[in-house]
Amino acid sequence: MSIDLSHFDLVAENDIVVVPVDKLVDVATYLRGQGFEYFVYCCAAHYPASESEPDRALVEYRLRRLPAEDVALRLWIPSSDACPSLAGLWQAADWQEREQFDLVGVRFAGHPDLRRIMLPEDWPGHPLRRDYAIDTRHFPWR
Amino acid sequence: MAVGHGHLPEPVAALIRARAAVPNPHLDVESYDPEGDLLVLNLGPQHPSTHGVLRVKLYLDGEVCIKAVPYLGYLHRGVEKLCEKLTYVQITPIVDKNDYVAAFSNELAINMGFETLLGVEPPPRAQHIRALGAEMQRVASHLLWIGTFGLDMGGALGGGATLFMHTFRERESILDCFEVLTGSRFHYNTLQVGGCRHDIPAGWETLVRQTFATISARIEEYESFVRTNAIFLARTRGVGVVDAELALSLGVSGPVLRASGVDYDLRRDRPYGLYRELKVNVATASAGDCQARFEVRLAEMRESIRLVNLLLDGVPEGPINVLKAVKLPGTVKPKPGIGYAAIESPRGELGTWVVADGSDKPYRCKIRGPSLHALSLLPYLAPGQNLSDIIVTLGSLDPIMGEVDR
Amino acid sequence: MAVNEENETFVHPLYEALERFPGADVGLTTADRVLTWGLTNALWVFPMATSCCGIEFMAAACSRFDLDRIGTIARGTPRQCDVMVIAGTITVKMAPRVKKLWDQMPEPKWAIAMGSCAISGDFYRDIYSVVPGVDTFMPVDVYVPGCPPNPDALFMGIRRLQEKIRLKREGKWTEPELRPDTPGLRSPAIGRLGDPGRDACTSQAQLDAVLGLDPGGGLRRPDQKS
Repeated sequence: MSIDLSHFDLVAENDIVVVPVDKLVDVATYLRGQGFEYFVYCCAAHYPASESEPDRALVEYRLRRLPAEDVALRLWIPSSDACPSLAGLWQAADWQEREQFDLVGVRFAGHPDLRRIMLPEDWPGHPLRRDYAIDTRHFPWR
Repeated sequence: MAVGHGHLPEPVAALIRARAAVPNPHLDVESYDPEGDLLVLNLGPQHPSTHGVLRVKLYLDGEVCIKAVPYLGYLHRGVEKLCEKLTYVQITPIVDKNDYVAAFSNELAINMGFETLLGVEPPPRAQHIRALGAEMQRVASHLLWIGTFGLDMGGALGGGATLFMHTFRERESILDCFEVLTGSRFHYNTLQVGGCRHDIPAGWETLVRQTFATISARIEEYESFVRTNAIFLARTRGVGVVDAELALSLGVSGPVLRASGVDYDLRRDRPYGLYRELKVNVATASAGDCQARFEVRLAEMRESIRLVNLLLDGVPEGPINVLKAVKLPGTVKPKPGIGYAAIESPRGELGTWVVADGSDKPYRCKIRGPSLHALSLLPYLAPGQNLSDIIVTLGSLDPIMGEVDR
Repeated sequence: MAVNEENETFVHPLYEALERFPGADVGLTTADRVLTWGLTNALWVFPMATSCCGIEFMAAACSRFDLDRIGTIARGTPRQCDVMVIAGTITVKMAPRVKKLWDQMPEPKWAIAMGSCAISGDFYRDIYSVVPGVDTFMPVDVYVPGCPPNPDALFMGIRRLQEKIRLKREGKWTEPELRPDTPGLRSPAIGRLGDPGRDACTSQAQLDAVLGLDPGGGLRRPDQKS
């Protein structure tokens, strides 16, 4: 039951589509028009630099056409780059992308209000990055 | 939206009308309030009616709200970072504390996420225990919600605390059932990857049956409290109307979505575990206001009680875990991959997105909490409402801040 | 002679006057006992309920356990309260607000740390955003352990607080062993990223496995040929 995205040269495999960064907004707009109106989540995972790959993040959007047809858009964003925002298409992407920006440090281009959502505004760093030690605190409470 | 704006300056009233047509929480207040006439009121982070530590910045003109900006993160405990540091077996007691009103649902969601990666399926007896626990937890969670909603309504129900006292009495009896099953009142730590940790003790079924027979009768009592209460109806009917299209676009699920007329329940539409064989009647309402959400939750409690009694009839014999009893925390090692599993928690779609890298710890573990999505409705609902109605609306969305902030 | 808080004696003019009237001090101690009785049996509680322990606090205040029967009433504003119950995890973002609310409470006031998160941070102790125990920024009188503590345990804590108040008023309170002086934050249990002796944030094997991920979306181990 996978969605046909062949005119974008993309193949959905087990509901998962690996999307190049420049095609994300087009694919998302197409899916919105196809009735994928339920936004499930936006997640990101940080991958530190290796010999073959630069420092990058895996971003996954999951969209659903009710009742139970899912598609997960998966894309790799280098840290030097910004991910296109989907906040104009689904309102839920607003807070979800803010959360991923706050915790993982992925920047979303075109987001209307990209501020920290969980941590204080002046917090240094992004805690869910792999190079962020779990006990890195700062002390505003003293 | 029928709100009287006679006392408002015309540009502000026009903006409220425009907002009602195109909801936009990023409205720039300064652009239409250059003199700074609006009252800025901070609701929270310590407020008895915010259900935890939520802060909402309200721009008020008299009693009418122009804009509401929620500020989250006052309970951000870094659970997702902690999950990366712990093994798959050790995570279960941690996620209990996320949605602390429905701990069993949290355990179920995270363990189902791990089982998706491992490719194992719990044995039938474990499935029964899981479904039983989840339905009992739903009743307990909704009971707490009804009580605190009564508190939010202030004096509408005879001093406010009346309904609260009544529902907590019933909730305690459900917690007693859980205590007999797992040894703990509140944070159970009873599920593990591949099954359950605690088997049903002797005589437990009778206890549960008696408890739920009592609760079943008492639900009628709550309904009679509010059915005839003119103040309750006046404060909930037509207040905080959620548009179905907006709710879907915001990823709202659970009773809030069903009260807006969308017939959608993960237990029926994306069945997992025992729900593949179980027929679940999904309650919906079309009005989308606070009263509809109340009705939906009451109907869900009745349905859960029916399911509990049904499940108690046919608990099969057998093992309660497919894996060997976990003695060492590092023995569960899924293959590398990414998995997502979701359950219908009392508040909606509670999902787990796990990235495994082949080791005994998850590489990244994200918990998709329904409360965050329900709370994101507030900036759309609050403008144009009276301050007291905002409290009722916020209460009816049932956000649990432990799950919003994680 | 009167005794102040540092246990230094000094001559107070009132006491000098009292010594001239034999029998007056007996009346005063009786009055003091009445005041102490009132103080210990009307502890109004400000629930600083942030998370799970707040729900157990609500359960304690409800019909089954009923905090009211020992004169403990939960109020919504700090200005009417004697005791602050810190029930739940306090994060770095929340801590200044807790301190501010504590400062708003009128004297005399006491604090109960309910639950292991408020006592020490529990398993969130080493998390970047969690305060490792509320006693790092405010005084605490009674610690109620548990995760979350049962309502019975909270009752026990309040009884202990009453006992402490009574003994202090009677001058019989002896500080138990003083906690070690901690001017700053105690050193975290997990070493920092740069420390050579630290328990690695990401072990090398885990890093290697992760770095072998295929950017095409499929996942493979580094030892596998694509």
